Amino acid sequence: MIGSRSTPVISVQNLVVKIPTSEGFSTIVDGVDFEIQGGRVFGIAGESGSGKTISMRALLGLLPDGCVVTGKAIFDGRNLLELGPSALQRIRGRALALVQQDPTTTFHPMLSIEQQMTDHLRYHLGLSRPDARSRALQLLREMRIPDPAGALAAYPHQFSGGMLQRIAIASAISCEPKVLIADEPTTGLDVTVQAGVLKLLDDLRRERDLTIVLITHDLGVMAAMADTIAVLYAGRVAETGTTEQVLTKTRHPYTKALLDALPKSESSQRKLTPIPGTAATAGDPPPGCAFHPRCRFARGSCSVNKPALLKAEEGHFHACTVDPFYSAV
Amino acid sequence: MTLELSNVTLTYARRGRAPLSPVVGASLRLEPGQIVGLVGESGCGKSSLGRLAVGLVAPTSGTVVLNGRNLSVVGPRARPLVDLKLQMVFQNAAGSLNPLRRVGSQIADGMRRTQPKSTHRKKAIAILERLGMPGSIVDSYPGQLSGGQRQRVAIARALAPDPEILVLDEPLASLDASAQAQVANLLQDLAVRDGLGMLLISHDLSVVKHVADRVLVMYLGLVVEDSAARELWEKPLHPYTEALIRSAPSTETNRVLPPPLPGEVGDPAHPPPGCRFHPRCPYVFDRCTTESPKLTFVSGGRQVSCWLRSSREITPAAVPAPLVED
Repeated sequence: MIGSRSTPVISVQNLVVKIPTSEGFSTIVDGVDFEIQGGRVFGIAGESGSGKTISMRALLGLLPDGCVVTGKAIFDGRNLLELGPSALQRIRGRALALVQQDPTTTFHPMLSIEQQMTDHLRYHLGLSRPDARSRALQLLREMRIPDPAGALAAYPHQFSGGMLQRIAIASAISCEPKVLIADEPTTGLDVTVQAGVLKLLDDLRRERDLTIVLITHDLGVMAAMADTIAVLYAGRVAETGTTEQVLTKTRHPYTKALLDALPKSESSQRKLTPIPGTAATAGDPPPGCAFHPRCRFARGSCSVNKPALLKAEEGHFHACTVDPFYSAV
Repeated sequence: MTLELSNVTLTYARRGRAPLSPVVGASLRLEPGQIVGLVGESGCGKSSLGRLAVGLVAPTSGTVVLNGRNLSVVGPRARPLVDLKLQMVFQNAAGSLNPLRRVGSQIADGMRRTQPKSTHRKKAIAILERLGMPGSIVDSYPGQLSGGQRQRVAIARALAPDPEILVLDEPLASLDASAQAQVANLLQDLAVRDGLGMLLISHDLSVVKHVADRVLVMYLGLVVEDSAARELWEKPLHPYTEALIRSAPSTETNRVLPPPLPGEVGDPAHPPPGCRFHPRCPYVFDRCTTESPKLTFVSGGRQVSCWLRSSREITPAAVPAPLVED
C-alpha cells in the first residue's frame, strides 16, 4: 500500500531537461515530479516522444552533451542532478542499475558473457577474477539460465532474445543495486517469453527488496507489474496514482484514450478506437494543455493555460482542468 | 481470385548440418474480402509461410496455386502481369522506404508496368486519401512523416497495382497503440469495402483476433490450430493457443502476472519427437511423446493438431483462470 513507507527511495522534483537544437533549446521534460517508493514497482507510461526515457537518463547522468537539467532527484540523501561524473560513475551499475530494450545492443558482440559480467563486478566491488566468476555463475543459476558454465563461455549471439535479457538482468543486479531501472525490458520479446521475464523481475523485487522503475508504452505490462504509475505526455505528467486508480478510476482524457485504443477481450465490435491526430512530441507541444488538439473534451481555456496537477483523491493526481470523468459519487 | 497453399513444406539443406524446415505441411486458403490471421512466436515459420504464399521462395513440396495456376517463382520482370494482383507488405515496412525519394514516386513504382505515366500522381493521391492521409503527402519525404504514416505509405505502395490479395508481415509491430488501432481498422475496411483478401502475419494475437475472420496458429513450423477468430479466442483448442492467450498481460486485471510457459521453443532443425509442443505442454501424456498429431477437423469447421483435443468431438476446454500472485 502506498504510504506504508514514508521516505521515497528516489524523490524527483520539478525535473526539467532541455536539449540543444539548431534553433536554441527544446524542453523535452517539462517539470515532472515523482516519488518512487522502496521495494515497489514504479511505472512510467508513455508513447515515443513522451520524455519517459530522457527523464530516467537525466537521473543516471546519461544525457547527450549540452543538455540543461534543473530540478532535484534525491537519492540516498543527495541530488543526483548535481553530482559530478566520478560520483555518478560509482552509483551507476552499483546503487542504480539499468536494463534496456533489445539485449543484443546491451552486450558487446565480441566479448564473452563472462568478460562482460565480471567486468563491473571487479570495478564496483573490487572482486578478484575467480571470485567475480563464481559470483556471475551463481547469478546465472538464480536466473534459471540452463548450463550456467557454458553460458559464461558463450557469446551474445548464441542466445535467444529472452535468454539474453535474463543475462542482462543478472548482470544489472550483480552489484546488488537498490533501484533497477528497466526501460522497455520486454518490448520486442515474444509474449510467452515476456511472461517469464516479468515473473523474474517480480521475483527479484520480492526476494531482494529491490525497487523497480518500469518504463514502457505497454499498458498491459504496466497493469501486471506496477504498483504506482505516472503517465507522461509531451514531457509532462498527465496522470499519476496507484495502478488501480489510474487504470480503473481514470481521470485524464489521454490516459482514457490510450486505454480505449487497446483491443479488449470482450468486444462485440471489431473496430478499434484510435486517438485522433498525431502524438505531440516533447519539445514542441501545442500551447496550453499539450493534449488539447486531440481531445474531445477540450474547451477554449485548454489552449491557453498549461494545466497544473490536480488532486483526484489521496495519491491520485491528474492534469486536466475539464476533468470530464469526475463523478461526485 | 483465390490463393491456395496445399500441404506446403519448405526445407533448406545445409552443408555439414541437419536440414532445416521452417514450414512443414501447411495449408491455407485466401479469398476476396476475407482476412486470415497467422500468429505464432519467433521461429514458428510464419514469415517463411508468408514468403511462400507470394512466390518469393518455392516450396520443397506441396503447391501454391493462384486462381487455378501454380504460382511461379521467378524474378520481378519475368513475373506474369496477372500475378501483380498478389502483393506483399514486408516486416519493418517503414524501413523499406527510400529516404531520398518522395512518397508519390515510391507509390508509383507499383504502377509503372501497367498504368500510363500521366495517371500516376493522381492515383497515388487517391490511394493516400483512401488510407486516411492528406493527398499533399505525395510530395513529402518519408523522414517528414510519423511512424504510423510511414507504415501506411508502405501499404500504399502495395495497393498501387490494384491487388486482390495482400500478404502483410507484421504490419503493426513498430506502431504505438493508437496507430495500431488506426491501421487495423484500415485493413478491415480494405477487406470489407474493397473486397481485398488478406493474410495478416503477426505475433500479437489480441489485435489479430479483432481484425481477422479466421486465425491460424503456428508452432515450430507446423500449423497447430485453424479456427474462426472469435471461437479461437473464446475457446482455444490447442494448448499452445491457450498459452498465447494467457500470456498476454491485460489492463483488465491489476497486479496479476501472466503465468510463464516453461521451456524454450527449441531448435527447428532438431524438433522434439512426437508432438513438437509436448515438452512444454501442461496436458502431455504418453502418445504425445512418440507420435506426431495431424491437423484434424473438430466441431464447426475448426482444426487442431493435438491428441487430447482432436480425440474429443465437441467441448474444447475453456481458458483456465490466470494465477494470482502476492
